Amino acid sequence: MKNQPIYLIILFSFHCLFAQTTVSGTVTDGSKRAIVGANVYLEGTYDGTSTDERGNFSFETGETGTQTLVISMLSFEPHYEVGDVSYFTDLQIQLVEAINSLTGVTLTAGTFEAGDNSKVSVLKPLDIVTTAGAAGDFVAALQTLPGTTTINEDGRLFVRGGDAGETQVFIDGLRVFQPFNATANNIPTRGRFSPFLFKGITFSTGGYSAEYGQALSSVLLLNTTDVPDQEKTDISAMSVGAGIGHTKIWGDQSLSLNTQYINLAPYETLIPSTQGVQWNSPYESIAGEAVFRSKGEKGMFKCYTGFNLAHLDIAQEDINFEDFVRFQLTNKNLYFNASYRYFFDKEWTLNTGASLSWDANKVGIIEDAIDTEEIASHLKAKIKKTFSSRLNLTVGTEYFVTDYSETFTSTDGFAFDTGYNDRLWATFVESDIFFSNDFAMKLGVRSEYSTVFEDFTLSPRVSLAYKTGKKGQFSLAYGDFYQNPLTAILRYDQSLRSEKASHYILNYQFLGEGKTFRAEAYYKDYDDLIKFDTEMPQFNSTFSNSGSGYAGGIDVFWRDNKSIQNLDYWVSYSYLGTERDFKNFREAATPNFAPEHSFSVVTKYWLNKLRSQVGLSYLFGSGRPYNDPNSPEFFAEKTKPFNNLSVNWAYLIDQQKILYFSVNNVLGFDNINNYRYANTPNASGIFERHALRPAADSFFFVGFFWTISADKKSNQLNNL
Amino acid sequence: MKKLIILTLFLTSIASNAQDKYTKGMEKAFQLWSEQKNLDASNLFERIAMAEQNNWLPYYYVALVNTTASFGEKDVEKLTQQLEKAKEFIDIAKRISPDNGEILVMEAMINTAWIAFDGATYGMTLSGKNAQLYQKALELAPANPRVVFSKAEWDMGSARFFGQDTTPYCKDVEKALQLFANFSNDTPYYPSWGKNRAKAVLEQCGE
Repeated sequence: MKNQPIYLIILFSFHCLFAQTTVSGTVTDGSKRAIVGANVYLEGTYDGTSTDERGNFSFETGETGTQTLVISMLSFEPHYEVGDVSYFTDLQIQLVEAINSLTGVTLTAGTFEAGDNSKVSVLKPLDIVTTAGAAGDFVAALQTLPGTTTINEDGRLFVRGGDAGETQVFIDGLRVFQPFNATANNIPTRGRFSPFLFKGITFSTGGYSAEYGQALSSVLLLNTTDVPDQEKTDISAMSVGAGIGHTKIWGDQSLSLNTQYINLAPYETLIPSTQGVQWNSPYESIAGEAVFRSKGEKGMFKCYTGFNLAHLDIAQEDINFEDFVRFQLTNKNLYFNASYRYFFDKEWTLNTGASLSWDANKVGIIEDAIDTEEIASHLKAKIKKTFSSRLNLTVGTEYFVTDYSETFTSTDGFAFDTGYNDRLWATFVESDIFFSNDFAMKLGVRSEYSTVFEDFTLSPRVSLAYKTGKKGQFSLAYGDFYQNPLTAILRYDQSLRSEKASHYILNYQFLGEGKTFRAEAYYKDYDDLIKFDTEMPQFNSTFSNSGSGYAGGIDVFWRDNKSIQNLDYWVSYSYLGTERDFKNFREAATPNFAPEHSFSVVTKYWLNKLRSQVGLSYLFGSGRPYNDPNSPEFFAEKTKPFNNLSVNWAYLIDQQKILYFSVNNVLGFDNINNYRYANTPNASGIFERHALRPAADSFFFVGFFWTISADKKSNQLNNL
Repeated sequence: MKKLIILTLFLTSIASNAQDKYTKGMEKAFQLWSEQKNLDASNLFERIAMAEQNNWLPYYYVALVNTTASFGEKDVEKLTQQLEKAKEFIDIAKRISPDNGEILVMEAMINTAWIAFDGATYGMTLSGKNAQLYQKALELAPANPRVVFSKAEWDMGSARFFGQDTTPYCKDVEKALQLFANFSNDTPYYPSWGKNRAKAVLEQCGE
């Protein structure tokens, strides 16, 4: 091997071919401040370093020719320099701040979120269901937020001086046509959906996105869970019924089934409701829900189906009748909702979906019968392009179909049919613009065309948000909102127009560690409200769009789960000033559903030793206006204030078994919702009245919840 | 023949050169990490990861450095950045090496860091995920000491939270320690942490 030295020389010189070049420079942020610890390297090589305290970097490389220099740093957009390595000396690099969805500015005016990771969440999923007095109804939990008023006898959402019909509910972006169980007058309803199927709840009390329409006051957006964590079976036994649920997972597909039977008869036998009611057959229902999800590489398909069959037979006191008035109801509801989301290349996202609902009621009032049927559907497609973390654009279109028919049959055989068919087209365009981490804007516009009255509407929506510091921010929102008159009116008259509301909102929010403060001032201008000239809307009423009104107020929210260990509480206060001239009002007045002051406190305390969570909620509402026909003034009287103190106790027997107790209105406050006056005065010329009170002051609930899963750890604490 | 020898030498030279670069880089990164220079260590692991896109280990270590640095971190912004970075890199590692028990344990550790930071917010949602991750890791790698130990430690934590007896899990920790004693993997820089922690946990067992 006499040539060995030659090879060595060859090898040596080969190594020498890696001539070393120095790459150097300085990295700063937008305001020329040094960035420490940025990762600077040549793409695809090991050559690189981190910047020092002064933002300087310098490293040697053997690479030659055109290279890509990468500068990456958390919370900044990555920066790339492409060029010959020899030019990479004394570089002055300014990194652009990345838009941070977590700590940056957010568009929050009018919106409350309840979700897992969302920073604007004021409620966590668990809160929704462990709030005392809510009894597992997430709508009842939302009623502890400011901007809502507790209308004890109704159970639906009344937002900022708006009627319950002004709030719409959406699941995965698709409209739910009958979100609440059917019920009798003065018997509160509940939301149809079990909260645990949803991963996020957004509750907007005004100024919401152009994506949503046909709601004058508020939208409630529910998003179903994408992928369940594990297979499990849930069993529940309650004082009012029983339920069973199961989740099965096959790879990327999963199916959750849930069924519940409710019967209030045993409870009513034990603790009968006595205040102005007699149950002939207390509320009884059977409900089923199924959610199927299929996740692909870039797409997600979800399908929700719900079925509900409910029956009740009640007799209620009425000043205009000698005997109690009998009311029978059988409701059948079927709801189907399918959505598909697909992520294309280049940041295009497609969302499509359809919902279909069928709702039939058989109502008996004394001897008369009313049969109603509504078939409604919603088709929607929207496409979103994200240009950068600073700019995105959404364009969408949707189509609503409503076919309603009703047959009234009186004892003497007289029958009367009403109904209507509506087709509503809508399109919307919306853009989120982030000027910086401190300043953002949402701009949108929505147009709608309704075939029922051949009317076209255009609603602009704007919201702005500005961050004043690390924790505080101001938001402003404006929007126009249109909604078709409700079924109760449309079935008699289709020559009307949409009702209109304009929202103006100013919001301040402070997010400290474990502490949230929000204050919001708003003004709502109502126009084109429906008026009619009879007691109730009926076939011979004269309808018009001549009504109007306003609502203004202040909402304050404070939540703290840090100051006292194991204690979490929130306090809400709302001031509401509103008057409207609508329905059969003879002049503008504050309606019965709009108390001036609402206040609530919710507390939750975790007792580690007892493995228990104890909750306490207090709700207060100032007196509600009512009209006394004996007085010359219109709606000048007020009921006494509303008070409710509720307690609950969840005890974990072991990791998978929970015992739950709750008492609604534990102190038995005697609340009065309204007064009903006789249609005609008595012999001495006085209109007599009776108070409309809850069927029972207090309500007791006991439940046992058992989860069976492979990991032996899950439980239904978040179903309670 | 000569040419062949030269070529062979030349190629092995390049190969060992590349090997050396990886070894040198990893050694340097571990050194930085041991000197508590977490950011520098993370940056270097990241640079190695970017150059070795088929090797899950540097990605794994970016996640490990950022996650361990997050335990005890009080600054929510910093914690979020670190844990999001850890999640981003462990997700890539998972794509490179699917069905890897070590990676699942790492993923669960990121969740645990969130729970440790704010149990009220993340406990309910992430503990279900962790239970499943550990379950799957154990199915994939029943003889991996880190898998056995991490699952036992997690189960102990849950039992403690519910005021239950933690002693049944002590035998799992013991089993993990036996596995630690016999465990070996030929891949250079294969994860090796956990033995001392397991010893410490076992010492406190039953107390």
